[in-house]
Amino acid sequence: MNGYLVTIATIIAINAIVASGLNVIVGFAGQISLGHAAFFGIGAYTAALLATKAGLSFWVALPGVIAITAAIGLLLGIPSLRVRDDFLAITTIGINFIVEAIFNNFEFFGGALGISGIPRVALFTLKLRGTEFLYLCLFFLALVMIINWWLTRAWAGLACFAMREEEAAAASVGISPVKFKLLAFVIGTGMAGLGGALYAHFMRFISASDFSFPLSVSLLCMIVVGGIGTLWGPILGAIIIGILPEVFRPLINYRILFYTTLLLLMIRFQPGGILGENSAARRLFAKTLRRGKS
Amino acid sequence: MQLFIEQLLNGIATGSIYSLITLGLALVYGIMRILHIAHAAIFTIGAYMGLLFFNLTGSLLAAIAGSMVVCALLGVLIERFIYFPLLKHPPFVPLIASIAILLSVEELARLIAGPQILTFPALLPFPALHVVGVTINSTITAVYCITALVLVLLWAITTKTELGLAMRAASQDRAIADAMGINSHLIISITFVIGSAIAAIAGILVGIYFNQVYPTMGAIPAYKALAIIVVGGMGSAPGAVVASMLLGMAETLLIGYANIPLPRDAVAFIAMIGVLMWRSEGIMGSR
Amino acid sequence: MKRPLLEISSLSKYFGGLKAVDDVSFNIRKGEIIGLLGPNGAGKTVCFNLISGVYKPTSGQISLDARRIDSLSPQTIANLGIGRTFQIVKPFANLTVMENVIAARGIARYQSMVKIWSGWKTPTERSGAINLLEKVGLAELAERRAGLLPLGNLRRLEIARALAVGKKLLLLDESFSGLRPEEISHLEALIRTIREDGLTVLLIEHNMRVAMGLCDRLVVLDHGSKLTEGLPAEVRANESVIEAYLGRKGSAYAA
Repeated sequence: MNGYLVTIATIIAINAIVASGLNVIVGFAGQISLGHAAFFGIGAYTAALLATKAGLSFWVALPGVIAITAAIGLLLGIPSLRVRDDFLAITTIGINFIVEAIFNNFEFFGGALGISGIPRVALFTLKLRGTEFLYLCLFFLALVMIINWWLTRAWAGLACFAMREEEAAAASVGISPVKFKLLAFVIGTGMAGLGGALYAHFMRFISASDFSFPLSVSLLCMIVVGGIGTLWGPILGAIIIGILPEVFRPLINYRILFYTTLLLLMIRFQPGGILGENSAARRLFAKTLRRGKS
Repeated sequence: MQLFIEQLLNGIATGSIYSLITLGLALVYGIMRILHIAHAAIFTIGAYMGLLFFNLTGSLLAAIAGSMVVCALLGVLIERFIYFPLLKHPPFVPLIASIAILLSVEELARLIAGPQILTFPALLPFPALHVVGVTINSTITAVYCITALVLVLLWAITTKTELGLAMRAASQDRAIADAMGINSHLIISITFVIGSAIAAIAGILVGIYFNQVYPTMGAIPAYKALAIIVVGGMGSAPGAVVASMLLGMAETLLIGYANIPLPRDAVAFIAMIGVLMWRSEGIMGSR
Repeated sequence: MKRPLLEISSLSKYFGGLKAVDDVSFNIRKGEIIGLLGPNGAGKTVCFNLISGVYKPTSGQISLDARRIDSLSPQTIANLGIGRTFQIVKPFANLTVMENVIAARGIARYQSMVKIWSGWKTPTERSGAINLLEKVGLAELAERRAGLLPLGNLRRLEIARALAVGKKLLLLDESFSGLRPEEISHLEALIRTIREDGLTVLLIEHNMRVAMGLCDRLVVLDHGSKLTEGLPAEVRANESVIEAYLGRKGSAYAA
């Protein structure tokens, strides 16, 4: 397979993992997070440090990376979730900026130069590169999808959905809003941490600017475009947002404008996303199905 | 001591600019509960329009007037065609739309005017002042005076006129304001007009003060303004002004006087998190 | 004399200067159907919110089975067996009617960090939910999205949810509002059946006929304080109650 396509596909797969995590927080639990890139970054930096400074292999470090990212997610989640919806948006933006500033300004994280020389992932003696690494990412993506699927069928997921719909009514049936918001945060940030580890070993060089606020916006766009709260939405969104810049590449100079205008039109006229309940895509699909039947 | 006073006065100037930027955001949030990040887009356009009209006419007054009109129009268009139809959706929907607008405007500015930093060599017809042995240049004096003028006008409108009363009623409870015969949609649009016009003034002032006009000049103000309205109390215009002043002074004194090695822009967010810990409604918010 | 199920003593809730509930006391014995009456603004829903933990009292105590509950969170109080409906209905709009009820049935699991990982799409849950839906007459609408239901059905859904949770006490806030006559009689019959099953019911109701006919005792509030309590016949004839509802002149028009 063409090396260029493999790279794009790998980035899309990693983004899909991170976006799935955001989908748990925003789509399942109804909490807005505009700082998800920060946790992607925390996962990446943790993986990078464990690999370069502690010499741990990807596999040994991975549980630690996910645990540390989720723990920080829990820590930052506690004060964030005491505040109302609108405050939460701003607080998460703030988290993004502060985390980025920390990575940029402290020598431990390599400062403005970031961390380089991150080794490839090794499966036994084989160093994974190109297509093989893509398969690794797809494997983890499948894992994440299964976890999400299980979550929708578990009481934990049902509690999150109920809380998302009507917090007061959820409390009246025994669902503790704080507990389940934090649970969603922990799961979502943990997934972001996983994506971060994969990213670090893929790019082999990371710096703070890779994880800034625009990426948080991108991630939110992915789940919005794909369909918030749906199972496949994050993947569809990651694919679309990942492919768009390539599709519009010919219009080099106008690429970003097309991208942002498309986003604006999308959110203005189809906020439910492509896989959303009442979307044009679904209705069109249903119509063609009906036409096919008669 | 001299340095302290200089930095203090600088800080007040910075705080004044922050309040002009943040006022519009606070007013819009107060009346629509939407985080109007696109406000920074209007601020940027205000700067560019001001520069354009100034270069065309040579008159600063014409530039300010023209820019205010363009921005007011833009604000209303955004409100009517983007925000209002999206009100029935969860709050992150208009938020994403707002961010998309800001990013699109940045790109348009880059494509139309170019990515380079343009200069705004206008002379603000204000005198330099000598206070307590320190000289403040005419630009800073201009900032003080213009900000004071805007604040006084806004205060007069909101407290002394019927329009102001309607605005305050609609921001407390729109359904009841509607029931009492107040055309709340009209009030919302007027709020956008006022907020956007103030943003235009802020854009021009910032352009002249720093002598820089460039496509992404709205980005940092956008996020800082968010932190400021949290600190000041969401939707409280007086709170926004107080918080802006405090932040302006804190930033300048901490960095310029006490030389604390913090990235300047992080101060706003750290302050925000601190305030949220202490009192989640902010300095002047209501429970 | 058995200890009452619910004891409310000197309960007060002030919002700044506004005395929403002022020094209210009454008890509910197990198996009773008590009506909480009063004109609009009397503080009835505030009382419900205090009992169910949405508000914390400014002063006073609430005890369930001799155990104080006034400082507990809503979800803890739900776990103690108090189920409630809301005056402004709060369905889980994007879930189906059945999912709404199953969500309520999950109350036994939400507190455990282990049980929340087991599945809810099981035949047991489905039949349990259908059971409850049949009681309130919503079984045919089980697969309908809750957000699409008309008000009357939403009120019944609220009751189904409350039934799943309320093993000891049911708080029904204006559950008869907006119902058609046949729905009302169906609901009255349901509440009597509930009482036979051993539950206790406290209801807020504006429909006088329903309140008088259904309740064993009535507690009347006005402007936050308790006016009187007693048997329906006593309360109906009480001068100050009539005055509270109809105004001073209105007592001349009362039957």
